[in-house]
Amino acid sequence: MFSPDFSPVTVIGGGIAGTTSAIALARHGFPVTLIDEQPAAGGQIFRAPSPYARKTVPPNHEFSGGDALRQKLAASPVNVRFSTRVWGLSPALTLDLIGPDGIDQLPPSTVVVANGATERFLPFQGWTTPRITGLAGASILMRDGGTLPGQTVVVAGSGPLLFSVAHQVLELGGKVAAIVDAGHRSDWLRLGAMLSLDPARLTQATSWMLRLRKAGIPIHHRAHISTAQETETGLLLTVSDMDHPERRHVYAAEATACGYGLKPTTLITRTAGVQHRHDPIGGYLEPVTDVAGRTSHPDLYVTGDAAGIRGMAVARLRGLITAHAIAQDRGGISAQTYETLTRAPLRQLRRLEAVSRRMLPLMNAGSAIPAHLQDETIVCRCERVKAVTLRSAIEAGAEDLNQLKAWTRCGMGPCQGRMCEDSARGLLTAACGNTPEEAGSFTARMPFFPLPLTAVTGTFAYSDIPLPKAAPL
Amino acid sequence: MTPALQSRADVFDIVIVGAGVMGATTALFLARGGQKVALIDRQDMFRAASGVNAGTLTLHMTRAQLIPHAIRGREMWLNSTAWLGEDVGALATPGLSMAFTEAEEELLRQRARVRQDMGAPIEVVSPQEAVRIEPGVNPTLRAAAYCALDGHIPAYRVGGAYARALRQAGVTIIENSPVETITHATGGGYDVRVSNRAQPVHGHRIVLSAGAWLEKMLGWLGYNIPIRCLINQLVVTETLPPVMGSVLSIANGLLSLKQFANGSVLIGGGWQGEGNIHQGGTRVIPENLRGNVRLAQYVVPRLDEAQVLRVWLGLESETPDAMPLIGALTPDDDAFVVGCVHSGFTSGPYMGRLLAERILGGNPDLSAFDPTRFSTPTATGPKS
Ligand SMILES: Cc1cc2nc3c(=O)[nH]c(=O)nc-3n(C[C@H](O)[C@H](O)[C@H](O)COP(=O)(O)OP(=O)(O)OC[C@H]3O[C@@H](n4cnc5c(N)ncnc54)[C@H](O)[C@@H]3O)c2cc1C
Repeated sequence: MFSPDFSPVTVIGGGIAGTTSAIALARHGFPVTLIDEQPAAGGQIFRAPSPYARKTVPPNHEFSGGDALRQKLAASPVNVRFSTRVWGLSPALTLDLIGPDGIDQLPPSTVVVANGATERFLPFQGWTTPRITGLAGASILMRDGGTLPGQTVVVAGSGPLLFSVAHQVLELGGKVAAIVDAGHRSDWLRLGAMLSLDPARLTQATSWMLRLRKAGIPIHHRAHISTAQETETGLLLTVSDMDHPERRHVYAAEATACGYGLKPTTLITRTAGVQHRHDPIGGYLEPVTDVAGRTSHPDLYVTGDAAGIRGMAVARLRGLITAHAIAQDRGGISAQTYETLTRAPLRQLRRLEAVSRRMLPLMNAGSAIPAHLQDETIVCRCERVKAVTLRSAIEAGAEDLNQLKAWTRCGMGPCQGRMCEDSARGLLTAACGNTPEEAGSFTARMPFFPLPLTAVTGTFAYSDIPLPKAAPL
Repeated sequence: MTPALQSRADVFDIVIVGAGVMGATTALFLARGGQKVALIDRQDMFRAASGVNAGTLTLHMTRAQLIPHAIRGREMWLNSTAWLGEDVGALATPGLSMAFTEAEEELLRQRARVRQDMGAPIEVVSPQEAVRIEPGVNPTLRAAAYCALDGHIPAYRVGGAYARALRQAGVTIIENSPVETITHATGGGYDVRVSNRAQPVHGHRIVLSAGAWLEKMLGWLGYNIPIRCLINQLVVTETLPPVMGSVLSIANGLLSLKQFANGSVLIGGGWQGEGNIHQGGTRVIPENLRGNVRLAQYVVPRLDEAQVLRVWLGLESETPDAMPLIGALTPDDDAFVVGCVHSGFTSGPYMGRLLAERILGGNPDLSAFDPTRFSTPTATGPKS
């Protein structure tokens, strides 16, 4: 047998998948570094609540689960780097970091990408006015900050977060004016029929639905917010039926939370040059992985929602399986041990995944919206590019997202197209008939998010600058 | 040429390999001169150096010997409507190069003198005068070299303009098509083999304009010229209120700093990243990122309010004597090269035009750029 290779492993993302993976890797004997931008582990679902939220938000699964995870991590030898973000990397997996002490670089290591999901936003007329947040953002604000986005909220978009957020609003004593869902009612019923496979989700969903029904909240399926107008006290929201646009409802609310499901966060994997594919059901780009998170890059693994949206129970299992797979790939355990260790998790994973996959079409129910955006609607809020500008560039021959970006600046701003990529792609495929694969995705650029210039410079004197030798005369 | 061959779509008077500013300008003027031209690139046009450069139209940084060419190139950019058919957003501004130490001041005066001799309108001014011209600069400077002819251009906008002009001039543009070999064709001319085509593209004559990839390509024609590949770093900030109006640099040439109309500031100057041109992939060197940004913030203190939006690296090529390669590679006048031009974006349109003129039978003075100055081709030149 070869001697095992216990070279360092770096886990990016301290959510359920990443933290589980890091702990398991350390147990296998790897020196592990766990990096997360938050001040503590937990990720989106198990995020450490603020002291205020601990007082105001009723005790829940997420708090207790997160606390347990953080305790396990603290008891492990995993080296943690919190409040630290990866802002770039090389194909050899050198990681560029920014943390409390400024910028820094980690030499190449085996990398587990567990940076989770990003919310998909689809624009509508007036979406750049204040008082409009994403569903995920609203959820974090309420659960971990204990604060309502507004006293009356219209909850809109698609996917299970709709009901979770509506429920949270009620829990904090707010009012939900309406739930506006792009999905079909029948899709939800079909999902409900499968939930027996996932008892935990079934219990949760049943309690939410009972509570929402009791509150008498109107639910519109196959509908979306088509316009938001600011008023003195809040917003006037026009809700249109997707199949019969002339059918409209108008709601007044203090705020709206609107999001169209989740997609894997791919900046890191794209920069690493890993092979990706477009998942037509989820309507998003995902890295191509095997069940253990292996990718086309020999030293890069992807786990949790970053490998495709499956939810938190699957994320934990995936994190575990990825850790075992790395142990096997590095000669730390035999194939047989791998099989023994992963038999039960894999069985559970398959069962839960069947349910998760059913969620994907519900999250992606808004996919037809971009094709019908009004010309004057802003698509890229960073660079303020309107739908009409994109349409004329497409007419002039822009055939993929990067060409569209170069011609219109759409996606060139600080958010790197996180907010506009899906709608720009939707517009492009609708207008020129290209497939999403042909439309491609915006080239990932570094830094992944704006860095304060002074964080890069630190304090210095002129003589500290290592001036290179003069250019040729 | 046989009529059968003539009717084949992939036979051209001239095939140009590499669609950056050098190849594309050459193609444009050759097509306007009546030639049937194909322009091939391994990716979309203008995605390499010519699409990602800092866009400084500078005489401070250009090699002194190239100043006459840079002046002409800069004029062409500022009048792009006249020859490219549209305004690409070039802006004329003054340029200030600064010195903060005694050694730098000496260098500044020396570099200014050499450039004056080559026709650049550069004068050394006092710190007070520099601050008057550009109130945002660090007032602790010792001296500055002022050049009335400087400016900048958003490089990313240029590719689209060239694409339209080339199509209108009848150039066949073959993008996303890496050239794998070039061989002598039986019966004359060259067969240019492209990875995704069964048949080679045939050119009676060829022009090599593959930028940083020229070394390998020249090898196919039997030339052994070591070409250094520079991996230049650029940094752009989020938009800021106006903090500068001119192009700023420092005496040793290792800073270029400007603010575009939208408010973003571009920081460059040729600080290096890491990478391998053959395997692809580049890497930012953190100390160099820090150094470059420190220098910029030292020169314009108010940049401390900025956010770094993007960092990228682009490839630039340099010959052993840091002078360009422009001219004929063969005594038969059927193969040419254009590239390795220092600050080549500034002079690019002019260099490309000169080569087109030469190919069309003119006689511009290209003697200083003669590609045969380093080596003569070995017998292992291209075979059919
Ligand atoms: C970061 C950076 C900043 C710069 N800043 C400035 C500045 O401020 N001012 C200035 O004047 N100059 C600047 N320069 C220099 C300037 O950009 C270059 O001198 C100029 O663009 C070179 O043009 P080119 O056409 O020779 O090369 P390129 O633009 O690199 O074009 C070469 C083309 O050849 C293609 N190619 C290569 N191999 C093959 C193959 N096998 N088959 C087909 N096609 C192939 C490539 O894809 C590429 O498109 C900068 C350069 C860099 C990298």
